[in-house]
Parts: sequence; C-alpha cells; structure tokens
Amino acid sequence: MSRVTIPIGPQHPALHEPEHFQIFVEGEIVVDVKPRIGYVHRGIEKALENRTYIQGAFLVERVCGICSNAHQCTFMMAAEEAGGIEISEKASFIRTIVAELERIHSHLLWLGAAGLEIGFETLFMYVWRDREVVMDLLEAISGNRVNYAMNILGGVRRDISPELADKIRKGLDYLEERTNYYKKLCLEESTIRKRTDGIGVLDPITGVKLGATGPTIRASGIKFDVRKNDPHLKYDEADFELITWDTCDTFGRVVVRVLETIESIKIIRWCLNHMPKKGDIMPEKLIRRVPEGEAYARFEAQRGELVYYLKSNGTDKPYRVKIRTPTLANILSVAELLKGSYIADVPIALASIDPCFSCEDRITFVDVEKEKAWTWTREELRKYSREFNEREKRW
Amino acid sequence: MSKKKTQIKKEEKLLEELKSALGPQLEEAYIKRPRRIHIRVKPGAHRKAVEYMRDNWELWHVSTITGVDLGENIEVIFHLWRFKEPQTAIMVRTMVPKSNPKLETITDILPSSNLYEREVHDLLGVVFEGHPNLERLVLPEDWPEGVYPLRKEWQPAQQEGE
Repeated sequence: MSRVTIPIGPQHPALHEPEHFQIFVEGEIVVDVKPRIGYVHRGIEKALENRTYIQGAFLVERVCGICSNAHQCTFMMAAEEAGGIEISEKASFIRTIVAELERIHSHLLWLGAAGLEIGFETLFMYVWRDREVVMDLLEAISGNRVNYAMNILGGVRRDISPELADKIRKGLDYLEERTNYYKKLCLEESTIRKRTDGIGVLDPITGVKLGATGPTIRASGIKFDVRKNDPHLKYDEADFELITWDTCDTFGRVVVRVLETIESIKIIRWCLNHMPKKGDIMPEKLIRRVPEGEAYARFEAQRGELVYYLKSNGTDKPYRVKIRTPTLANILSVAELLKGSYIADVPIALASIDPCFSCEDRITFVDVEKEKAWTWTREELRKYSREFNEREKRW
Repeated sequence: MSKKKTQIKKEEKLLEELKSALGPQLEEAYIKRPRRIHIRVKPGAHRKAVEYMRDNWELWHVSTITGVDLGENIEVIFHLWRFKEPQTAIMVRTMVPKSNPKLETITDILPSSNLYEREVHDLLGVVFEGHPNLERLVLPEDWPEGVYPLRKEWQPAQQEGE
C-alpha cells in the first residue's frame, strides 16, 4: 500500500497551541510520525539573563499559562538553593497548597478537553463548570485566575488566613464529591472506554527509554513522580499515594489524572490542617541578590517532571537559567505511541500527554507554492496590525 | 536527619563505583546534597560514564542537557536520573572549547537525549558528533548560520521602548 503524508498542525487539532506533526499513513493506519516544534519559542532563557530575579519571577510564569505557578516556584527553588536562601515553614505549606490547586485546575481542564476530543461534550460542560470552583479558590488566594505571582525569593507573597482556609475546605468538599463522580464515570461509562481503550499505547520499557514523564509514564505503570522520588516543598511529609495505572493507553492517562486530582485534594487538606498558624511568609527585606552558586531543581508539574538549572554569580541577575518543560520530554514518546493507531484517534492520542508548547517571539510565514519561509519583524507586524485595523475600520 | 545520612551513604557508594570505573578520566566528584551527585569528566569520557550507568544501573532517563557559556569554554552538563534505589540525580559535566565545540553524542546510548542535544546545538552551537539528525529544533529555518543566541556575546537587538 502506498504511503501518504498528512500534515497535522501547526494549528493543532487538540489543544489550541502551535506544533506540527507529519503523519505518514498507510490506509487508515499511522506508520510513522515526525514532530516539529519551536513555533512559539520566545527566547525566555536568554531574556532571564538580562533581567533581575524579581523581574524573572514574573517572566517565567509566562512560559506556560496553565502551569504558571509550577514554573515560578521551580525558578525560585533553584535560586534559593543556589544562594542558600531559606524559606519559612509556612511559606513552604502555602507553596504546596497553590501547587496542588493548580494541579487540580489543570487536570480538570484536561479532562474536559479530552471529553471534547472524544465527542463527549456533556463531560466537557460538567467538568469545566466544576473547575470554576478551583479557579475561584485560586483567585481568592492570589487575586488572579491564572499567573498567580505567589512566589518571591525566600517565601510567598500572600498569606492564607483561617477564614480563607475554611473557604478552601468547603471548595475541596465539593470538588471531591464531583471528582469521585468523574472517577466512577471514567471507569464505567462506555462512551469514554470505547474511545480510549487501547489507543495510543506506550509500553513501559519504550517510555522509560524515551524519557517520558508525568501521567504519560505513570499510566504505563512506572512509579515516576518527583513528589515521591525527589520530594520538594512539603511532599515528603504529606500523606498521599503515587498513582499509577497499567493499561499503558489513553484510558490509563484519563484514570491517572482523575485519581491524582483526588490525591491533590488530600494533600491540600493535610496542608491546611498542619500549616503553622503564625509565622512570616516572606523575609522582611526583599532579597534581590543571590550569592554565587548553582542549583538543579526538579518539580512535579501537572504534565510531569519540570527541570530548572540555575547558575548565579552574586549579582541580581542569573548567569544562566535552563528550563526543560515536561512536554519536551514527552515528544519522543508521543511520536512512538501514535504509530499503529487510526487517523481518527490521532487527536485524542496526541492530547493524552497533555501537550503544552510554549517556547520565541516570532512569526514565520510559509508560502507552500514557492517553498519559502520568512519571518516578520516587530515593525512589520505593527504595520500589518495598523493596516488591518484601518481596513476593518476599528479605530 | 538520619534518613538524609543513610541516603548520602548510599550515594557515596555509587560515587566510589564511578571512581573505580572511570579512573583518571574522572576529574572531580562530589555530592552537593542528598540526591544530587556531580561528576566532571574529561571530554570524550562522558560516553564511558553514561554507558557504565546504563549497563550497571539500568539508568535510561536523561532529564535534560544544559550548555553554559563560560567564556573560553562551553560546559555541557548531562542531567540524569537513576530510577533504582537509591534514587538520585547525576550530573555528568564536561568542557568543550568554544573555538572548536565538538562532543560525541550519547543518543546511541541513551535515546532520550536526542532532542536535548539538538537544543544545545541550536542555541549554543555545540556539535554532537554522530547524532542521527542534528537539525534545527527551536530556532526558525531562516535563522542565520553560526549565530548562537545563548552564547554570551550574542545580545538581542534593542526594541523600541526598552
């Protein structure tokens, strides 16, 4: 049978971010996949070298809108370890709470989006309605629905009062009830099972060899979770289970995320009950300089292992920051797990790793007929925008 | 506290193993804190170190590869993770001169380093010899050849308003 190439993306069918996959098919079956990333590479690592730690803290949040806190927290953890800066007990608890609330919001967002992928729109509506509860809690803590700006060198910027803690407990009760319902739904509802069973299979040995992380590898039965293996914040004390599933397919990835949401609720409850009532949340004087040193920080973001390497030189700007997001680690595996699946299953199988492509400030245009690509400068972009607005008479 | 000590003791054993496996090719080895082992090897010996860990420790996971511009040289750090107990991160460092930044690939030993090597090649210009496909990863296709944005001498053009 002859081989046909299908381009998928850069406008991605699943998760509204640009990436490109060349899919080679024979008949209905995918035989090979070539990923192409970098459409949104914004040069943040370089930008961080020219900005102070304080400015950088707010820049790294923009690496990804959904795991913004994970990025900021890991950046701060790396800087604190490099410079030997201690954070207070209470700040550590608050960081853990926000990290887990963010995980709940992200996993629910994904579950809804997955419902949409498999044509189960009622699930999408229900889950996103319930997700508003956790969004409200995050807004109550930080004042913002996304980009919480909670972390600062040596602590966090906002406290959780006993009244707020009660509000969070109430919200968690509701979320727990609903997540248990989704757990029952995912395990029993045939609409979900028929569209996810045996799709996008990643066997554990291949997964480990290709460096997969997060729910992607845990759904293949591998116990790889930074919170347990390399505990940061309060995870070594908190009481929770490391969730794995052994079906190795998209169904497993759905279940792992739903069960992890329940574990996150447990962690937040534990934190609220054990958090010291009094204590500083940040140093009295804002820390601007980080003593010379280096650190390697790992964080279990929603999508998997998030890694920061930071080298400081005693000034108020980092010498070098390296960021590795979990999606990059999962790309090789996704190319592998798509092989052998039907074309119609490609969107949900791609979405099953919860991809997040955020990476440089540029726009590239491709003229297919002339096989030519070029980049627009900021000026050209501005000119185009002006012309566009005039044309549309928006002034 | 004792948990920390037993972890460090186990890691010291790993470090001894590496010392005897690598011999004089190992330049520096230390444990910075629990679960952070650092070793520095001579250029070229990184392959031997990585191969030893894969064959004896079943270590497959490359977390990432960092390139750091240190002026004359570029330091390449392989961040690895050991799944077996005692679980720990291992940093394998080596140095390449900036005038001739060439290093042998480890993709044939640990396939998960594939994209990370391409990224370091893209942004710092380190050529990983023997890599199956050392194409651009994150930079646009029309980015000029020989310009590496993460090197210290490269600075972005000033934009209006900065």
